[in-house]
Amino acid sequence: MATQTKPQSATDRSTAFKWSMVIDLDRCTGCEACVVACQSENNVPINEESAFIEGRAFEWIRLERYWEGEWPDIKARFIPVLCQHCENAPCEPVCPVYATYHNNEGLNVQVYNRCVGTRYCGANCPYHARQFNFWEPVWPEDLRHQLNPDVTVRTRGVMEKCSMCIQRIRRATRSKTPSDIPDGAFNPACVQACPTSAMTFGNLNNPESKVSKLQNDERRYHMFEHLGTAPTTLYLKQVDTHGA
Amino acid sequence: MYYRRTLTEAQINQQLLGTVLTTPLWWIVLVSLLGIVVAGAVGAVGWMINQGLGVTGLRQPVFWGFFITNFIFWVGISHAGVMISAILRLSQAEWRRPMVRAAETMTVFALMASLAMPLVHAGRPWRIFYWVFPYDWARGIWPDVRSPLVWDPIAITTYLTSSMLFVYTALIPDLAIIRDRSTGWRRSVYGALSLGWHGNPRQWKIQGFAGILLSALILPVFVSVHSIVSWDFSVSLVPSWHVTIFAPYFVIGAVHSGVSAVVTLMIIMRKLYKLENFIWEEHIDALARLLMVVALAWMFLFWLDLVFALWLREEQEITVWMLRMFEPPWSWLFFLFFMFSFVIPVPLWMFRRVRRSFTWMLWTSLLVNFGMFLERFLIIVPALMRKGPQTFTYATYRPSPVEFTIIFGTIALVCFLLLIFSKFFPLIPLWEEKEGQLLIDHVKVGNVYVPALVKEH
Amino acid sequence: MAHEEHAIPQVPTHQEIASDIMARFQNVNQRYWSWVSLLALLFVGGIVGFVMRLSDGFDDRSNWGYYTATLSFLASTFLAMPIISAGLRLAKANWRRPLTRLTENMAITGVLIWFMLIPALIALPPTEGRLSVWFDFPHWMAFRGGNLMVWGTVVLIGLFLLWLLAVPDLAAVRDHMPASPRGKLARVLSVGWTGNTRQWRVLHSGALLFGAFYLLLYPTLQTLLQADFQAGLLPGMKDAIAPATALINALQGAVGLTLVVMYVMRRFGGYERYFGIDQFWALSKPLLAFSLLWFYFWWGSFITFWYGRQPGESELIRFMVLDSYRYPLMVSFMLNFIGPLVALVWNPVRRSIWGPTIVGAGVLVGALVNHIRWYVAPFSVPDPPAGEAWPHVLPEIPAGQLPGAADALIVVGGIAGAVLLFMLINKIIPVVSMWEVGEGLRLVKVRRFLARYAMVIAKSH
Repeated sequence: MATQTKPQSATDRSTAFKWSMVIDLDRCTGCEACVVACQSENNVPINEESAFIEGRAFEWIRLERYWEGEWPDIKARFIPVLCQHCENAPCEPVCPVYATYHNNEGLNVQVYNRCVGTRYCGANCPYHARQFNFWEPVWPEDLRHQLNPDVTVRTRGVMEKCSMCIQRIRRATRSKTPSDIPDGAFNPACVQACPTSAMTFGNLNNPESKVSKLQNDERRYHMFEHLGTAPTTLYLKQVDTHGA
Repeated sequence: MYYRRTLTEAQINQQLLGTVLTTPLWWIVLVSLLGIVVAGAVGAVGWMINQGLGVTGLRQPVFWGFFITNFIFWVGISHAGVMISAILRLSQAEWRRPMVRAAETMTVFALMASLAMPLVHAGRPWRIFYWVFPYDWARGIWPDVRSPLVWDPIAITTYLTSSMLFVYTALIPDLAIIRDRSTGWRRSVYGALSLGWHGNPRQWKIQGFAGILLSALILPVFVSVHSIVSWDFSVSLVPSWHVTIFAPYFVIGAVHSGVSAVVTLMIIMRKLYKLENFIWEEHIDALARLLMVVALAWMFLFWLDLVFALWLREEQEITVWMLRMFEPPWSWLFFLFFMFSFVIPVPLWMFRRVRRSFTWMLWTSLLVNFGMFLERFLIIVPALMRKGPQTFTYATYRPSPVEFTIIFGTIALVCFLLLIFSKFFPLIPLWEEKEGQLLIDHVKVGNVYVPALVKEH
Repeated sequence: MAHEEHAIPQVPTHQEIASDIMARFQNVNQRYWSWVSLLALLFVGGIVGFVMRLSDGFDDRSNWGYYTATLSFLASTFLAMPIISAGLRLAKANWRRPLTRLTENMAITGVLIWFMLIPALIALPPTEGRLSVWFDFPHWMAFRGGNLMVWGTVVLIGLFLLWLLAVPDLAAVRDHMPASPRGKLARVLSVGWTGNTRQWRVLHSGALLFGAFYLLLYPTLQTLLQADFQAGLLPGMKDAIAPATALINALQGAVGLTLVVMYVMRRFGGYERYFGIDQFWALSKPLLAFSLLWFYFWWGSFITFWYGRQPGESELIRFMVLDSYRYPLMVSFMLNFIGPLVALVWNPVRRSIWGPTIVGAGVLVGALVNHIRWYVAPFSVPDPPAGEAWPHVLPEIPAGQLPGAADALIVVGGIAGAVLLFMLINKIIPVVSMWEVGEGLRLVKVRRFLARYAMVIAKSH
């Protein structure tokens, strides 16, 4: 994680920024470029085969495949799932040490140094967006120099999850006023890497931003809306043009 | 018709202090065997801390497994102590007398075992300090009181402290007796521990008052402990955990397993320490009757839990219950749990002959606790697996040998500590027995004598 | 049987007790009749209120909220009374003996309650598209048939227990006043009781068996009440603890009612020697325990809803706790929890006649208000538009509903009717059990204990 720059004042930033992401499933091809980009940007450990067999693979963003309908009228679907940065996050009140909390920019953030590893947040996250470091993360020798110096390398025993590339947010907004930051001036790694521009990132508190405008799209939905977690990540439904 | 066997005070002293004043061979053998198991578990913990939690079977999304199951299990066992001593003391049930101390002591040790579990389970146990102790000025941040995980240590340490006080208060008169019968350094240790007890009326009055007061004060703690443990689950959003009934359901389930554990303990104690004169069929019978009521209440709450889990017809909730009840291997475990903790023992306890048979009661009470362990396991693991239509990372959980070692280690630890305790303190309170003898009488009804009791109003 | 600590306790003989109870039983005075007529008048008022509601029909369910609240209040206090005697008998508590009969006599109110159930069932909406414990049963069978059957069974077992345990006393009535109509009725009801060993054995085992049945069935009744009349009408209400809370509330109300009845009978019926400090003191302990449990169960449900924060849950909290039914909850909270807690933790209060009585009366009022909150609220939730399934989230939060004139008549009349039935049955079956008190006397002896005298009560294993 980037070194925390003190904001001018807390209220300033909370009125200035509210980061959000919109994922258009109609555009998503399931290429997993976002997964790779996230992996290298955020120093996420390399998932070898054994990690998947153990069920301890790290993917801050992952492509989930699911089925819709009953055979023979069945469709394979996929959806990128990442931390939804819920405004009413189930993971937050259950942490005894405030290792996860809501910051004043609408992000659900994880403080690795505070985490003692009770894994309650992970158990309570309905999106399964949280990953736990069961082992000390290791990188192959030739990838050592690939690590991003802006992001903490996590230690064994702590939870981690999508931070909405907070290091990029910090770098881009440091000592700048909100009006100085044009919409789309910077993006998290996954958004940047998406070849079909299925993902959009921006500031909800800026009414002119793309994400703000997409909030009223008729295809919009939140994942697991019935749980009342109020995610800030919005999905745009895939609409079938042929058949129902 | 049965008559109470009356013993003189000297006989009571001699028979109950035998364990303290002599050291039989079996004791040494047993303690060393259990010690080896405990040492093995400590080694396993060390290995786990050294290697990381990867050595367990935990994986995403089953973040909680055997350790939390075991935590609940031991907190459950610990509910025996208060159930037996505080409630029965307040309700002046005469048959409590021989079992109070053993039950309370088991409470203390079971709580210790349970406290170890979340610590072991944490990802960074060396930082647990920040969780349990709020005084941390260096970081400028306090624990989050909204989290049930903060309530847990508070409730459990309060319960542990008050249980220890409870045991100690009841121990003082007996310590004085041992002090008077020992020599050398032991005499001075027991002398210091017995706080100058001479058994004068004022001391008895204070001791009795303290017992009643602690009983009354410990009751809310007793209820809150397992309620808070249950709120760890029910305040979450996990399907089948997020139910309002969990608090009383957990508490009554804890009493079910705790009282069963007392039955087991009493029967084993009777055998090992030859306490035939103190632990009778009648005591086990009374415990079994209590267990029947508790088990029925527990079943009622279980049934409510099930009915209202399916109430909203939510797919996730239903799939968790389907997984639990109908998909092997969970269905097997569920079947065993249901048979062991309810279907087999409760109808058996309806028969007086079973209730009064030490062999039957030993096995049925062990069954109950085996079933209750499975119950906790089934509450935690299938719910976390969340095999639902919209949950993707479905994974199963299989406990690793390391986890098994640690679980068996806690069982061994409690037995080990109980044996050590029995070496230094009598497991049956001498003064309770003597007081009981004093209050006993018979009333002649027709041509039979019915045991009667002088009630202290 | 007031118990003096320093004097030598006097143990009365069985004869003394029996003739005293019989004398009180035979005496039907002016005051009794004036009370009976007053209650009858109120009951008729209740019927008037019922007819007023009936003329409005069943289409608007919100009209029937207070009626259902009355029904559930009666079912939860009066019908829970036999549990006290059955439970205490199973626990072999000796102090129960004077008060078992009065709790059993309360079972007679079951007749009224069962008939009151029918209109409430008609007011329920059809099963289609909504949640219930009956899943896909047809409506008439599930809600109507099922409820009537379960309630009917509870009522019948209660009546059976009432009769069974009264047989020895009915035989005494038969022998004492053979000429009077009451004596003739007792002759029929006492079915040739002569008091031989076999008959006693049947009586004892029957009492235990059917008492246990009652104990097991009554929670089912409360579950149905909560599920069908509350949770099924409240969108998003997934509250597994509710039936248990209702059960606790019912037991609390039953203990409160027992205390109040005991007090009234002491004060106006001259039954001081039966309902002594022992009974009040002993009953005050479960009353305190139930009060604590009431809070505990309520809190268990509240905290789960509060933390869940799902849309359905937060709307319900607003409806039932924070907004519309805030005041009923506060009243009930004070009277069912805070009041008993503050008063009854003190032994001097517990060990008095007035203390438990006042708390018990408060508990009754609190229970009534609580039942109003529990049942008026769901009945005021409107049906979804025709053809639509019931939602899982409250579409809008209805305002709290105050009682109208008809509602007030129904509440007062219903309670008056139940009390009326109780008063009438007391003149058919003695309100203190002669045989049970007499049995207790045989188990007692006086003995010197240390420096004082104490009563020794035998308790078989």
